[in-house]
Amino acid sequence: MRTRLSGADSHLSDADLIRLADGELGSGSARSVLGHLEACWQCRARLRELEGAISEFVRLREEAFAPAIPAAGARAMLRARLSEEARTTTPGRFHISIPALATGLLVLVAMLVTFGGTVNADGPKPRLSITPGETRPVSLAEVCASSADSAADPIPESVRLQVFAAYGMDPAQADAYEVDYLITPELGGAYTVRNLWPQPYSARWNARVKDRLEHRLHQLVCSGQLDLHAAQRDISTDWIGAYRKYVGPGI
Amino acid sequence: MLVGTGRPGRSALEEEVTAFYDAFRGPLLRYLASMRIAPADGEEIVQEVFLALFRHLRDGKSRANLRGWLFRVAHNLALKNRMAKVRHAVVEASGESVDPGMNPEQLAVGNQRQARLLAVLRALPEQDQYCLSLRAEGFRYREIAEILGISLGSVANALERSLSRLSRAGGEA
Repeated sequence: MRTRLSGADSHLSDADLIRLADGELGSGSARSVLGHLEACWQCRARLRELEGAISEFVRLREEAFAPAIPAAGARAMLRARLSEEARTTTPGRFHISIPALATGLLVLVAMLVTFGGTVNADGPKPRLSITPGETRPVSLAEVCASSADSAADPIPESVRLQVFAAYGMDPAQADAYEVDYLITPELGGAYTVRNLWPQPYSARWNARVKDRLEHRLHQLVCSGQLDLHAAQRDISTDWIGAYRKYVGPGI
Repeated sequence: MLVGTGRPGRSALEEEVTAFYDAFRGPLLRYLASMRIAPADGEEIVQEVFLALFRHLRDGKSRANLRGWLFRVAHNLALKNRMAKVRHAVVEASGESVDPGMNPEQLAVGNQRQARLLAVLRALPEQDQYCLSLRAEGFRYREIAEILGISLGSVANALERSLSRLSRAGGEA
């Protein structure tokens, strides 16, 4: 290390003062710098100036570089991407058992037969192959700590478009649909594309009706009358059936 | 039904990465803004940083100083982003100087004194600006050197140079 104090007239360099203030001097150097500072008003004044520059820079930084965009949408997008990443790079983790797939197809065919022409008005049903209804690991306590209708983060546009694409729908129709969680996050549903499907606003069995079911299930689960997994299973396999079972026969 | 929903190994990592995101999105965006990355690009870079963090942790790589790791990745992605922008600008416009980071900043700073300080800051070598911003994020010299891939002495010199100039600019007020 170079000699700092060659004589009584020599002063500390800015580098030494800054490193002292930043705690980046070794203990020996720090001692000698501090000794000089005690004796020298000029160096103390210079240190004060440098500290002033630091505070001005900190203030400037807060004003000029403050992030202005609200975080909710970006956060939801990250979560969707993380799930996508987890799913696509570990193939086989999320395979659907063949019987379940067959059942799903049968249900779909049965619905087409039953509803015939009305199927379009009601929009697509959640499809098991696209929207199996993923869950995230939550404890009962966590589920019941949040209220049944606490607002989830809005679903970002890019994720909405992914859902429409998965259902083979024209994104131009997007305004007529709510992209909705199949298993509501309040019941432990995951924030992933595989828990989302497009639900038409105009349908008789629409998102508001489903909200009532979700509210009811949350009540039942948190009062100990229904197992959380049973609630997740029933709402993801046939939510309209679940509505009839838990809320009432009609809307 | 679905086989394999909610495996703790997978989701615990997603939750952990989300927690890191919640803690560091703001500081990373601020750092990217100081590198003159436009806000929308900054948000996108931050997303990429946390996807990279997810892969990094999933592959069982080092957990030492993850905060420094996040800034290093963000820094490198920002440089890449700016390089792409410059190439684009060269193709788009000829001779026109492109300075996308300046206007929003000037709008953001309230008074003349700060505007002048900002001008002094922007006139510093870029490396010095990076060092200042990272030091303001609370990194030690050793960590700054690692993030930027430079020597410890370069960090100390950069901070000395930039604080000396900023202090002179303040003194002229």
